[in-house]
Formats: sequence, structure tokens, C-alpha cells
Amino acid sequence: MKIYNSYIIITALLLLLTTIILMVTGQTSLDVYYLAYIIEALIVTELYVYFNTKARRGLHIVSVALLGGFLFIVSLEVIKMLA
Amino acid sequence: MLTGKTVGNINIELHNKNPYIWAGLVLLITGSLVSPLAYFILALTWLTALGICMLILSFILLALGSTIPKLSPEVCSLLLETGLENMATIIEELGIRTKAVYLPSSMNGGRPKALIPLHANPALPPINKSLPRRFITRYGAHPDDIGLLLTTVGTAAAGLLKPRPGPNPEELESALTSLLTGMLGVADRTTVIYNENHHIKVDILNPRIETKATWYQECLGGPLASIVASVTAEAWGKPIKITQEEHLNGKHSIELEVTGQ
Repeated sequence: MKIYNSYIIITALLLLLTTIILMVTGQTSLDVYYLAYIIEALIVTELYVYFNTKARRGLHIVSVALLGGFLFIVSLEVIKMLA
Repeated sequence: MLTGKTVGNINIELHNKNPYIWAGLVLLITGSLVSPLAYFILALTWLTALGICMLILSFILLALGSTIPKLSPEVCSLLLETGLENMATIIEELGIRTKAVYLPSSMNGGRPKALIPLHANPALPPINKSLPRRFITRYGAHPDDIGLLLTTVGTAAAGLLKPRPGPNPEELESALTSLLTGMLGVADRTTVIYNENHHIKVDILNPRIETKATWYQECLGGPLASIVASVTAEAWGKPIKITQEEHLNGKHSIELEVTGQ
């Protein structure tokens, strides 16, 4: 499955590159790392439009779970600001 | 304690897992260990983030791994070769040299199939009603209008496409790329050019299926041409004939003719 391999390699490289860039820039907030990962993963998934229905369904579940994590972080930040 | 039989069953289950599931499980375990260790003990943000990275990738790998068919590619190839050889034997034994016409599902009672006329006709008579679902079928009013109605690789492949593409090159190109690249993984890209004289040229980049010059393939075309012709017949809703097929420098070119205009 060549399309699966290219998707996984691109996502892995992108996430690794983001970690290196954020580490070099001295980023210490874990939220920033997580948000960057989620946004990248979602964009790459959307760009791979030719996945079969089963794969798309599976990745949709992963995307929803990641988005849940994203909303959790955002709500924590909002609560922190309000408090 | 586990019995020997249970252990045996677990071993079989584990052997059946594909590399994506294995890689996903390894990343899931490593990520679950690395992130809390880096966050609570080592207090290293970048290492914690790397652990999260592993977890995200493990979820993706597990999701993709569960979509891989359980049958090995070797078994699939075995089944395909058996089917094709049987079909090739029938065509060779009957001495048929005529080119097949790929009919859409609307002319075949639900599935796109290939019709091989037993007598060489310059033009296929217009098919106004759905053909009977039989191996040897009559498709016209003339006594010689008899042909073989075959299920091809394209029949099964076209069934994977939902919804049916529309009769324009853009939709056909998108459907073929989705089918050949996304679902079947047998090519890198597909381009479609529609010519004025009802001819369609389809280029498939880096195909991973061989096309051999056999009697059978002269009649029905190679597996890729068969898939392309079946999908095009479905898109246009008209009979399609493969007029030319060639493989050159990693590009497989197929020329189709929309008949019954």
C-alpha cells in the first residue's frame, strides 16, 4: 500500500521536524507542541483525498479523538484565563 | 495460566497481524512509556512532545492497519491468475479474435461486463434493453449477433466506486486515481484526455501490474485497461472499446472509443 506508506512517512517527518524546530526555538509549553501536531496531522489527512472509504473512516475517528484533545487544551486555557 | 492451545491461538493471531499494526503497537507502548517518564521524572518538554508524537502516529498506524485485507497478496495473486487463466483458455479454445466491448451496468442488469462478439462486426448494433445475464448471449436482431458476456477484473473494480463518476474527463480522472492509487495501490497517478471524436486517452503513471501480449489480452485488454474501460463505460453509460494499449517509460497509455453514439 504505497499511499499508506507515503502518508505515514510524510506525517512522521512533519511531526519530527516540528519537534526539532520548537525545541531549537526554546519552546517549553507542551500545549504549543500538541496544537502544532494536531493541526499538521489534520491538514495532511485532508490532503490525502484518495484514501479508500475504510481508511478514511478509521482516520476520521483518529481526527475526532485528536480534535477532542485540542478542545480539552483550549478549554483548560480559557478556564485558566477566567480564573 | 494459559494452556498450550490458547498460547498456540495467540501465536497464530499475532502472526496474522500486518506490519502497520505491529509498528502501531510498538509506537503505542514506547509513547506511553516515554511521555510520562519525560514529563514527571526528567521534566523534558521536547521528550514529552516526542512521546506524544509517537502516540499520534501509533493511532494513525492502528487505524490504517485495520483496513488492510487479511488475505496475503500472494493468495490474491493466486486467485487472480487462476481466474484469468480459465478465461484465457475459453477464449483461445473458441478461437475468438474480436475485441471486447465493455458494457455499463445499465445494459447488463446491474454489473458492468465485457461482451466479446463471436463474429467480427464492424459496428456494434445499438443495445436498447438490458442483456440477459448469461455466458453466451444474443445482443442484436441479426443471427450473427451472439457473443460471450464475461465478468472481468474491471467488473469487480468498478463496483468499488461509489458514487458513479459523471461523463466528463475531470470526474473520470478523479475516480480512476481514487481507484488505482487510493484503493488498489497499483499506480501513482492517472490523467484523462477526452478527444472530440469520442476517443478517450488515459495515461497511468508507474503502474505496478504487468501487461503481457497474450491472445486473451488482445481480446479483453490488460487488467489495467479492463479496469479503465469498465469505469469509463459506467461513467459514460455507453459501450466502450479499447482501441490501443501501450507501455512506455513507466507510463501505461490506454486509448478508448465510446461506441453506440
